[in-house]
Amino acid sequence: MLFETVLAIGMVVSAVFAIYLKETISSVLSLSTMMILLSMLYFNMNAPFAALFQLALGAGTSAIFLLAGDTLTKKNDAKTSTKTLLVGIVASAVLSIPIVVGTIAPQPFTQSAKFSLSTALWDLRAVDVLAQGLVILTAALGVVLLLKEKRRQK
Amino acid sequence: MDYIILSVTILAIGIVGLVTKHDLIKMLIAIEMITAAATMNFVVFGSLMNDSLGQAFAILALSVDACVTAVALALAIVVFKKLNIRDVRDLSESSEQEFSTEEEN
Repeated sequence: MLFETVLAIGMVVSAVFAIYLKETISSVLSLSTMMILLSMLYFNMNAPFAALFQLALGAGTSAIFLLAGDTLTKKNDAKTSTKTLLVGIVASAVLSIPIVVGTIAPQPFTQSAKFSLSTALWDLRAVDVLAQGLVILTAALGVVLLLKEKRRQK
Repeated sequence: MDYIILSVTILAIGIVGLVTKHDLIKMLIAIEMITAAATMNFVVFGSLMNDSLGQAFAILALSVDACVTAVALALAIVVFKKLNIRDVRDLSESSEQEFSTEEEN
């Protein structure tokens, strides 16, 4: 239980800092930290596949996207002042109180007894997986069209 | 039910970030946070109900979330390259100016 509470507090602290820090790179690093902690929490809940996807997509791919976006739209970031840092620390401490009081994960999680993930994903949700492929394809086409438009304007 | 407290806290932090920050990348970070909080509920309730459907939904949601981030970032890059703007307030001001110029013409 202590492990989950520490993970949850770490998530709240890193989430607050991802919002409050002025430098975008520091914010992205804080967000990645939050995603890594969330992935550890998933793993602790006996959800290893969700943990893996969270780690790969939430912490890895999104962080790379955001860092690339920050590099391509570079502007002079303001430095984080001590006052902002203090506000962030106080906010994260206040927001952590309900988690400490509420005690994370009192109930033990057990491995799925009904059906496996492959059954859930490929048999029960096969249409969703197909639709998701369509969404990914559309998103890729959208990104290509947007950036191609930019190149043509040059 | 205690994971719900964590989920709501992360959601609240994300919403506060989305409302108070005006930088496009910071707003995307806040959106990422909100989607992470929403996805967390799938896994938590899936684990509570002892089935893998929650994990399956979480995997689908995470993939779509990555697509959303990619498209939003592409839009942010295009806006920056065309107007040299990264602040949402400047973006709305510039669109208002364009609108008034069009009306005058």
